[in-house]
Amino acid sequence: MIRPRWHKIFSDLLSHKGRSLLIIASIATGLFAIGMITTSYVILAEDIRSGYRAVNPPNIQLFTTFFDRDYLNRIRKIDGVRQAEGVWNTNLQIRNTAGEWEPITVKASDYGRMGAKEMGQPHVLEGIWPPDEKQIALDINRLSDAGAKLGDTVEIKLPSGVIRRMPVVGIVRDQTIGSSRTEGGFFLAGIQGYTNIDTLRWLGQPEGYNTLYVRVETEDQENKPAIRAVADRLIDDFDKNGYPVNGFITHLSSEHPNLPYVDAMAAVIYLLGFLVVFLSGFLITNTFSALLNQQVEQIGVMKTVGGSRGQIVAMYMVLILVFSLIALAVAIPLSNKAAYMLLEYISVHINFQVIELRFVPASSILQTIVALLVPQLAGIIPILQGTRISVREALSGAASNQNETTGFMYRLLAKFRGFSRPILISLRNTFRRRGRLALTLITLMLGGATFIATFNVRNSISSYIDRLGRYFLADVNLTLDRPYRLERVAADVMQVQGVAMVEGWNGAFASVVTEDGKAGETVQVVAPPKDSKLIEPILLRGRWLMPDDRNAITLSELFLESYPEIDVGDTLRLKIGMDESDWEIVGLFQFAGRSSGLFAYVNYDDLARETGMQGKSTSFRIVASDTTLDLAGQKELASRVEAHLSSLNYKIKDVGTGLSLGDKTSQGLSVLTTFLLIMSLLMASVGSIGLAGTMSLNVMERTHEIGVMRAIGGSNRAIITIVLVEGIAIGLISWLLASLVALPISKQLADIMFQIIFDRSADVVFTLSGNFIWLGIVLVLSTLAGSAPAFNASRLTIREVLAYE
Amino acid sequence: MIHASQPTTHSRTDERSALIRLSHVVKDYPTPSGPFRALEDVNLEIWPGEFVAVIGKSGAGKTTLVNMITGVDHVTSGEAIVAGASLHRMNETRLSQWRGRNIGVIYQSFHLLPGLSLLDNIMLPMDFCGLYRGRQSRDRAMALLRQVGLEDHARKRPSQISGGQQQRIAIARALANDPNIIMADEPTGRLDSVTAEAIFQIFAELAGQGRTIVMVTHDQALARRVSRTLRIVDGRVGSDAA
Repeated sequence: MIRPRWHKIFSDLLSHKGRSLLIIASIATGLFAIGMITTSYVILAEDIRSGYRAVNPPNIQLFTTFFDRDYLNRIRKIDGVRQAEGVWNTNLQIRNTAGEWEPITVKASDYGRMGAKEMGQPHVLEGIWPPDEKQIALDINRLSDAGAKLGDTVEIKLPSGVIRRMPVVGIVRDQTIGSSRTEGGFFLAGIQGYTNIDTLRWLGQPEGYNTLYVRVETEDQENKPAIRAVADRLIDDFDKNGYPVNGFITHLSSEHPNLPYVDAMAAVIYLLGFLVVFLSGFLITNTFSALLNQQVEQIGVMKTVGGSRGQIVAMYMVLILVFSLIALAVAIPLSNKAAYMLLEYISVHINFQVIELRFVPASSILQTIVALLVPQLAGIIPILQGTRISVREALSGAASNQNETTGFMYRLLAKFRGFSRPILISLRNTFRRRGRLALTLITLMLGGATFIATFNVRNSISSYIDRLGRYFLADVNLTLDRPYRLERVAADVMQVQGVAMVEGWNGAFASVVTEDGKAGETVQVVAPPKDSKLIEPILLRGRWLMPDDRNAITLSELFLESYPEIDVGDTLRLKIGMDESDWEIVGLFQFAGRSSGLFAYVNYDDLARETGMQGKSTSFRIVASDTTLDLAGQKELASRVEAHLSSLNYKIKDVGTGLSLGDKTSQGLSVLTTFLLIMSLLMASVGSIGLAGTMSLNVMERTHEIGVMRAIGGSNRAIITIVLVEGIAIGLISWLLASLVALPISKQLADIMFQIIFDRSADVVFTLSGNFIWLGIVLVLSTLAGSAPAFNASRLTIREVLAYE
Repeated sequence: MIHASQPTTHSRTDERSALIRLSHVVKDYPTPSGPFRALEDVNLEIWPGEFVAVIGKSGAGKTTLVNMITGVDHVTSGEAIVAGASLHRMNETRLSQWRGRNIGVIYQSFHLLPGLSLLDNIMLPMDFCGLYRGRQSRDRAMALLRQVGLEDHARKRPSQISGGQQQRIAIARALANDPNIIMADEPTGRLDSVTAEAIFQIFAELAGQGRTIVMVTHDQALARRVSRTLRIVDGRVGSDAA
């Protein structure tokens, strides 16, 4: 037989369904957020590593000019090499659905003939793998740029101008994109295509390889020094055999190229996870203090008939437990579902394969622990306060008004003139329960501040990317298939209508030569002409290159991570091609951090001397006479340049626009800001449930008062106004506070993101758009939160409200 | 006929000594304009089996006196010894348990728990004090319901019955743990005269069974029908007419 005290618990649960739903929603929202965050974090952290390991990623990528199958077979015998593959990487052009030519990186290898699972094997989303001769598979990531789909025949333009038609036989996801760090990482990578090695001659390419993929022995695949030792042996062997090493990179088998982005998300997830638990705790505290306030008389009665404080506390704790268990039952499946949706979104944009959308026991265990602890901890204070009341106070009805304030704000509002009486009542009501108001404001404020901060972080990232765009100021970037004389190209390009200036740049891959004479990391060396106007660097230390410098070099900030002792004034030895040379470090500049590899700038003449390219170049930067060209204008100019040079029989490898660089990066990084937005909406929803709860509780507590107002002539409209204005007042106060608190939160969040992605602290660029959007949301939320209780209050008859207990 | 069985763990107080003794009881309430004295040097003894009416004007201190006896409020000075317990020395928790076992309290506004059935309302004191458990407490509650004539309403909620019926349930609840003392603060104040008479009859029967009853009332006619009347004027027990 159930004891009467437990009957009371169930009666409390069922007799005020609205209130119970509110409490359950408060707890469930917190648990939902925790579950969603934990499940997505666990799957994300596990699958990005294990999923990456599952595609057999290369531990070493070595870039050279050419090697053949015989040499590849010899490499396979080198100590520590478990698997070796040769790949030919080439940049061609693909015609998109708009008829424009877009750059495409085509990888050709012995796909399907290796006798073992190939390295970095793409995951087949549609169609077949591997592509056969003269067939192509496309990666899903930039597929929309190509506008192609499975079964289409795409046109590929070779540097010679010849166009090849290739059927698209597969749509794949290649998780290794960006792993070479030579093309600015995943987010700057263009369209990727895959074909069989036998297709190379047909594509005008030599039949061989220019990139070596190597996996080391299984036990060493997570051992960076062991991988590096194998890389050193490979480089030695390449040197001995006369193959120039343009660069190389080493990776652990679990080191997905976009791991920094996942780390950024994880950091944010942790931060917001803690915040959500706190906010949820505030909500529960608020709701329970109101619940206890409504139960004061009943507590008095129970004490009168023999209930000890301990017994009554235990009853309410059991009630919280019941609420928590219901909330847990709701939150677990919902949070799993939401986590799966979030993971699917992130996996597409971060380019990893979720192995399985699975149940994560740790998440449910954490939710259960939080469900059992946080509501009890949050509820214990109001419960202890509520049950401390003496029987006399409880039964006299004096206690329920005890917490109401007549403090400073109340007196201040009493002096307001010009407001109607209902508005004044609303404003005074707002400050009647300071404790409840404070908790509601904290919840809404933190939710709102995170929301606003998201926009500031997004804006800061965009501004920084724009700033990085100052390294690439040209309107059109032209890459030719072989070196041409600068004067000739410049003269020909200047004939194109709308071209104001042409600069011939140079570039090369180099290796840092370490003190023990071994090849270090790969550096992408960029060489603008000494008087270049197309670069505005962000200097960290030292100075930029001067026209009369000789073998001076400036290094990107990532050097400090790889070589912490390096500084301005030091000498850096680089191996470019087969030769080593010394360079004086004159400055360190800020670039894209971990998003890209090691970058260095030297003067054109200095690099040309090392590479034997004096007076020649493959890379040209073109500036339009119209300084306000948008992306479409740049594309038009690029087309004109390409058409003109093609007519002069130039072999063009790639023509790209300046703005597309920032555009691509922004699009790529939007996954982070969208993710932030989802998280901030989660916070906002906790805040809005808090506001809805506060408004409902306030109206519930004032039902009697509303009855009195109606009895003395208050119209429905006046009562609705009083409730709505109170909600809006709370919303506006929280908005003001959120706008202020958003400033440090923006800085904190931006620093986390910037540190992980760009390896630097953030220069926060504030925007008011987040503030205004949040203002709109808060006003709508406040109105909605007040509407239901206001409508309910206006529907009650005077008799009902005056009889309300 | 009200009848309540004797609980096994409960012992009645020695009937030869005063069941309720207040000695020099003073009660002050703090107010913004200084302390307000609600009771002034109250000395009072109530003997087992007495049916005492407490009368006086509004604000005279009747309810405060009841609160001193039930331990609902603490004395500012003096001593309150009820059923052998020194209330002024007990904390809230001990007082609640003591009250549940020794005193049945009835209020003018019934104070039934709205979410509980009538049966559960009566069983609640038994549940808290542990004097009757399980089937025994249910049987006793049904017996009490039967005795107040509301057996058929056991599953109803308080809001589904009349005020008079609610007061009967409050009386049944007050008897749940078979206390020696029944304290009733204006139990007929909200009832019509016919219902009030019926309720008074129940108290009379309880008094006839030897229970000690202290009843605050405004009704002079009812006050005249009890064994002893205490008149309170401005916090002092002005007359004590047996």
